[in-house]
Amino acid sequence: MLDLVIRDGLIVDGSGLPGRRGDLSISDGKIVAVGGRAGEARRELDAAGRVVAPGFIDPHTHYDAQLCFDPYAFPAIEHGITTVVPGNCSLSLAPLRTDQRDTFSRMFRLIEEMPEAAFDAGVDWRWGESFDGWLDALTGNLALNVAPLVGHSVLRMFVMGPDAQQRPATNDEIAQMSALLRDCLDAGAVGLSTSFVDIDESYRPVPSRWAAPEELDALAGVLGKHGGILQIVHEFYNTDLTIARIETLADLSLRHGITTTLSPIFHSHADRAGVARILDAVGAARARGAAVWPQVQTRPIDISFTLDQRSLMLLTMPSWWQVASIPDRADKLAAVADRRQELVDEMDSLAKRPGGGLGAGGFVVRDVILDRNRDLVGRSIDDIATERGCSHGETLLDLALDEELGTWFIRESIGHDDSEAVGTLLADPHVHVGASDGGAHVGSFSTFGDTGYLFSEFVRTTGSLTLEQAVKKITLDTATIWGLDGRGLLAPGNAADVVVFDADRIGRGPEIASDDFPGDGIRWIRRQEGVDTVVVNGDITWSADDGYVDGARAGVVATR
Amino acid sequence: MTTRRFTTPQPDDDLAAIAARELPDTDDAEQQLLSWNLHLAARAGLGRSVGLLPSDVVFTEPPLPAS
Repeated sequence: MLDLVIRDGLIVDGSGLPGRRGDLSISDGKIVAVGGRAGEARRELDAAGRVVAPGFIDPHTHYDAQLCFDPYAFPAIEHGITTVVPGNCSLSLAPLRTDQRDTFSRMFRLIEEMPEAAFDAGVDWRWGESFDGWLDALTGNLALNVAPLVGHSVLRMFVMGPDAQQRPATNDEIAQMSALLRDCLDAGAVGLSTSFVDIDESYRPVPSRWAAPEELDALAGVLGKHGGILQIVHEFYNTDLTIARIETLADLSLRHGITTTLSPIFHSHADRAGVARILDAVGAARARGAAVWPQVQTRPIDISFTLDQRSLMLLTMPSWWQVASIPDRADKLAAVADRRQELVDEMDSLAKRPGGGLGAGGFVVRDVILDRNRDLVGRSIDDIATERGCSHGETLLDLALDEELGTWFIRESIGHDDSEAVGTLLADPHVHVGASDGGAHVGSFSTFGDTGYLFSEFVRTTGSLTLEQAVKKITLDTATIWGLDGRGLLAPGNAADVVVFDADRIGRGPEIASDDFPGDGIRWIRRQEGVDTVVVNGDITWSADDGYVDGARAGVVATR
Repeated sequence: MTTRRFTTPQPDDDLAAIAARELPDTDDAEQQLLSWNLHLAARAGLGRSVGLLPSDVVFTEPPLPAS
């Protein structure tokens, strides 16, 4: 008798081929048969009128910390995600020496915008220092699969100590890093991640940025010999720099026979030709035989923020960044009062910068603390400023001060919001759908729901992709690029990672505030729409009827 | 498709050294180089001999004309 049969669904198997109606048979965590009429099973699901597809794979996440206290990576699974890749952008929780934890934690919390209280409460370092220790700690405690990257910055820290952020490595240190990377790959890492853009809380470049090309070349050589992908986060705000990185990745790919991926690539109103030039560069790399996969996210860029804490939105405003970094609230409010004109001028200068698209007038009041300000919710700063006869900066600051900096603002559609253009980009065969940043930037935007949005916006609304193409993009394509054998395709013998959904309804819910993380504060999440059931390695882990299955722990460390 | 020519700093390089190596026949080569690399010029602390990282991309020609 079979363990599970999903009956009479439209099987969209991940191959991109047209769906077909039939049953999906599952036993011992594996797919036994695809299509036809299945025999009896201990449990059966009626999928009539629904799509049955491989579980979705999210290749760009930062669930590293969240997985330590939340085996479900809530609410990723309900969106159909069955495998995630943490450890992107040079930062993984291991290997890391005990005395480096504070330094790393500050770096991770800042770059990935993870609240200090949540990080500290959730990450207990019970695995010690090694990468295999971290994987051991996860094993048996996962509701979804994890295909981890090891971070270049932590490799440097482990080998070089504080010098990791001061100088290039010596030949001996490069050899030690290479050996350490080999150990991590042997333990189950699917590759190496590096960063060319990130800074720490002191504005210092992260360790990976101190690596000379010879160092990255040596590590890429290890990936080539032992099997692993190279992920980079590049200077995504600059087309020429992006193209230069693509050329470097192509060289590494060809020299060492590795697959490479860079994320993110955005469509920008300010540089509409930029994406086309980037795709031309990728095409040229392809023509040389290189494997370079640019990752593109599905959702538009919206950023929420308060003036009370450091935020992506304040990155280009150094005075505001300094003030928001003051830990004590009374000191912070005093600093705002003392530096009022400087802060106002800085805010007002936004609109005068090239492009002007991020002017404070475009900020919208998202939520307020005080009832007397409730009627401002949903109104733009430009609108309120005109009414009050103040500048944008004065309006924003006065409103925030009235609420002791607790007011939430949002800047919507900063970019990547031209659905026709983004849809064309997503459909490009050289483009890899990813870059969700799952589990990161929790106070700036929801990283959940990108897969649902792929279907609601780019299959149903713009028609940029067919249902089968969209499923393939986030299943078999991803599994193939990342070398996750046995996943991403509904085929006998493959892991039974399955999502059942309504093709007419799958989408993302509204962005809502959630206080579920340890510590105070909120994060922004989106719940699923139109998903019926999610199966991980043969176990029903979430369903629309019953929610998250208590104690579901069928997830594994998914190695290459 | 054309890519702007670029290099990465060698040990102990500053922009002047890169300018001398990459643009030996160009007047005011360091300033030219800086003007072609605003991502470096914008970096706080960049001076004649500080601020370059080993992983930096340094363009050695101006932006290409739009096609």
